[in-house]
Amino acid sequence: MPGATLDDEIEIIIEDIGGGGGGKPPAGGDGGDDGDRGKRRRPSQPSPRRYYTGVALGILSILMFFMALASAFIVRRSAHDWVPVHLPAILWLNTLVLLASSATLEYARHRLANGELARFRNLWTVTTLLGVLFLAGQIVAWRQLALQGIFVASNPGSSFFYIFTGLHGVHLLGGVVALLYVAVRNFDKAKVSRSVAAEITGHYWHFMDGLWIFLLLLLSLGK
Amino acid sequence: MATYDSEDGTPLVTKPGFLSRYLFSNNHKIIGLEYLWLAMLCVFLGMAMSLLMRVHLMWPGPGFLGGLADSPERYAALTLLHGSLMVFFVLTAAPQAGLGSYFLPLQIGANEVAFPNLNIFAFWTTAASVAGITTAFFLPASQAILVWTLSVVAFCVASLLVAVNFSVTAIDLRTKGMTLPRMPVTVWAWFINAILSMLIFSILLAACALLLANRLLGTQFFLTAPGMVDALDGQRLFWFFAQAQVYVAMLPCFGIVTHLLATFARRPVWKERMVVLALCGVGLFGFCIWGFHMFNTGMNPGSPMVFALLASSLGIPASILLLSWFGTLWNGRMRLNTSMLFVLGFISLFLSGGLSGIFLSRGDLPIATSGNDFVTGHFHLVMGVAATFAILAALFFWFPKLYGKRLNEPLGKLHFWLTFAGVYCVFMPMHWLGLMDHVRNPMSVAGATNEGSMRTFITVAAVVTILAQTLFFVNLLATLLGGRRILERNPWRATTLEWIAVAHVRDDDFAGLQPVVHRGAYVFDEASAIEDFIPQDVTPQKVTPQQIAKGQ
Repeated sequence: MPGATLDDEIEIIIEDIGGGGGGKPPAGGDGGDDGDRGKRRRPSQPSPRRYYTGVALGILSILMFFMALASAFIVRRSAHDWVPVHLPAILWLNTLVLLASSATLEYARHRLANGELARFRNLWTVTTLLGVLFLAGQIVAWRQLALQGIFVASNPGSSFFYIFTGLHGVHLLGGVVALLYVAVRNFDKAKVSRSVAAEITGHYWHFMDGLWIFLLLLLSLGK
Repeated sequence: MATYDSEDGTPLVTKPGFLSRYLFSNNHKIIGLEYLWLAMLCVFLGMAMSLLMRVHLMWPGPGFLGGLADSPERYAALTLLHGSLMVFFVLTAAPQAGLGSYFLPLQIGANEVAFPNLNIFAFWTTAASVAGITTAFFLPASQAILVWTLSVVAFCVASLLVAVNFSVTAIDLRTKGMTLPRMPVTVWAWFINAILSMLIFSILLAACALLLANRLLGTQFFLTAPGMVDALDGQRLFWFFAQAQVYVAMLPCFGIVTHLLATFARRPVWKERMVVLALCGVGLFGFCIWGFHMFNTGMNPGSPMVFALLASSLGIPASILLLSWFGTLWNGRMRLNTSMLFVLGFISLFLSGGLSGIFLSRGDLPIATSGNDFVTGHFHLVMGVAATFAILAALFFWFPKLYGKRLNEPLGKLHFWLTFAGVYCVFMPMHWLGLMDHVRNPMSVAGATNEGSMRTFITVAAVVTILAQTLFFVNLLATLLGGRRILERNPWRATTLEWIAVAHVRDDDFAGLQPVVHRGAYVFDEASAIEDFIPQDVTPQKVTPQQIAKGQ
C-alpha cells in the first residue's frame, strides 16, 4: 500500500478484524507478519458482540428454568389436593408498573441516541424506580395473602404462587442492579459504550417483563 | 498480566504474586489446569472409595470397615459420594470445563474465553461444590441431603456459567477464517455440549429450587405415592441427576476421540460433516427424551428413571460416529502411541457398553432398573471407564502443550494394557451377575456359590485395576518433576491452532497476533516427502514442505 504508514495499515487491519466470529479469510496475502503463516495484529478493543450473545444465551437459560417450573405447575395442579389461589388484585397494578418501566427504558434509550444525556439519566432513574416499585408491590401482594392465612406451605397452589413470584423477583432484582450499574458507571474507560450497555440491559429488562406476563397468565388461568 | 500499551505493541509484563498467578488468575489455561487437578483429586478419592466398597462387599464383617458394616446408610452414603465425585467433577467437569477452558480458545485462535472473570468464578463455585458434597458424607442423613442438594445447586450454577461462556466464545471469538466447517471436531463437541448444558442444567437448577423449598419451607411440590412421602433418599436423587449427565459427559469425549483418531491415523476425519451432525443428534435426541420425561413428570425425582429410553436414543448417532471412526482408521498410517491406545480402548469400551445398552433399551425387561448390577456394569463401562479413557488419551496428547514435557510412553502403555484388561474383568462379570439375579432360583446353593466366586473375582480385578492407576500417578509426577522439556512446538505433527500458540507464555497465547485460518482442521498430505500435514494457518500459496518445517 504505497504512501500509507505502518500505523495506518494497522488501523485498517484492526477495523477489518474487529468483528471476530470467524469471517472469511482474505483472498490474497495475509498482511504478513511472519511470511508463511497468516497472522494479524490483535485489536486493542474487543468487540461488544460477545455481551449481546452472552445476554441472549443467559435469557435462553432463564427461560428454560422457568419453563421447567411451569411444567411442574401444570403436572402438579391435576392432583386431588390442589387448592386454587385467588390472586391479589395488586398484581395487575404491578404489571402496569412493570410495563411502564419498559416504556420509559426505551424512551431513555431513544434520548441517549439523540445525544440528550441529561434526559436519558432522568428517564433511566424513573425506570429504576418503577422496577423497585414493582418489587415493593410484589411484597405487598405476599403480605395480603399472608393476612388471609395463605403461606408458602399452606397448599401446593400457594407454594407455586410464592415460588414463581419470588424467583421472578430475584431475577428482576438482577435487572435493577444492571440498571443501577448503567446509571453510575463511568463509561469513558469501559470496554463497552453507554448505549451498548443500555441496549443489553434493555433486552434483559423487556424479557423480565414478558416473563412476568407469562407467569401471571399461567397463575391466573391455570389455577 | 500482559498489556499492549507500548508503542511497538510488545507486551508489558508485570509479574503477579503466587495467589493472583495461580489461585485467582482468570487466565483460561490456568483455570483449565485447575479443573484438571481438581478432577485428579476427585478420581483419587473416588477410586479409594470404590476399593473400600469392593472390600466391604467381600468381607462385610467387622474389620477396618466395621463402621460401614454396622449401618447400611453409611454404605449408601459412601456410594453416593463415590458417584457424585466421579460423575460431576471427573466425567462432567474434566472433559468439558477442564480441557475446554484450556483448548477451546486456543483451537479457534482466540486469546481468552469470552468472560474470563466468569470462568474463574465458575471454577471456585465448582470447588465449593466438591467441598460441600464431601462434607455431606460426614453429616447425619437429614442434613446430608440438604448440604448435598446445595452443593449440586453450586455445581449446576457453575456448569451454566461455563456453558454460556463457551458458547459465546465459540460464536463470537473465532479468529479470521475460522468458519464453522473449519472448526476442529473437538470445538464442535465443546460448543454443542455447552448449548446442551445450558438447557439441562437450567432444568436441574429448577428441580433443585423445588427440592430445597420442600426441605426448607415445608412445601410439597412433587406428587408422591402413598407411603413414599420422603423416599427421596440420596441414591434416588443421585440417579435423578446422573441420568442427565450421560450426554454432557460423553459429548466432549466423542470430540476428543474423533480429533485424536484423525491426528494419529494421519487421515482426515471420514465424513466430518456427518460426525458434526451426529454430535448435534446426540445432544438433540438426548435432550428431547430426557426433557420430555422431565416436563411430563413435573421434574419429579421420584418418577421412574428413563435410562432405558436414554440408552436407546444414542443408537443412531453412535452408529454414525463408530462408522466414521472406522472409516478414518481404514488405510490410516496409524501411530500406536499411548494416546492412540486409549482412543482405541475407548472405542472398544463404547462398543461393548453400547451392546449392553441395547438390552437396557428394552423397557419391558426387568433388568432395566437402576439399582441392578447389569445397569451398574453398563453405566460404568460406557460412561465411567470409556469417558476416563478419552480423558487419559487427551492428557497424553496435550501434555506437551500443558507442561512442555511428554509423559513416559512405555509406562503409559503398561498402564493402558493393565487398565484395559482390568476394567473388562471388573464390569463384564457385573452384567452376568445382573442377568443371574433374574434367572437364578433363590433356593439354589450352586447359584449362590457361583455368584459368590464371581463377586470375589470382580473384587480382585478391581483391586488390581485400581493399583495399576498408580502407574499413571508415578508417570505424571516423574514427568512433572524430572521429565525433559521438549523443544518441538508440535511434537505430534497436528494441524490445529493450539500447536502454533506460543508455548509457556502465561497471558498471551499468540503473542499479540491473531492467526488467520485458511483450511479445515484435518488436512493430511501423504504425498509430501517432508511433512504429511498442513496446519490450518499456513497460507495457501506458500505451502511447501520446507516452509512448514521452518514454521516449527
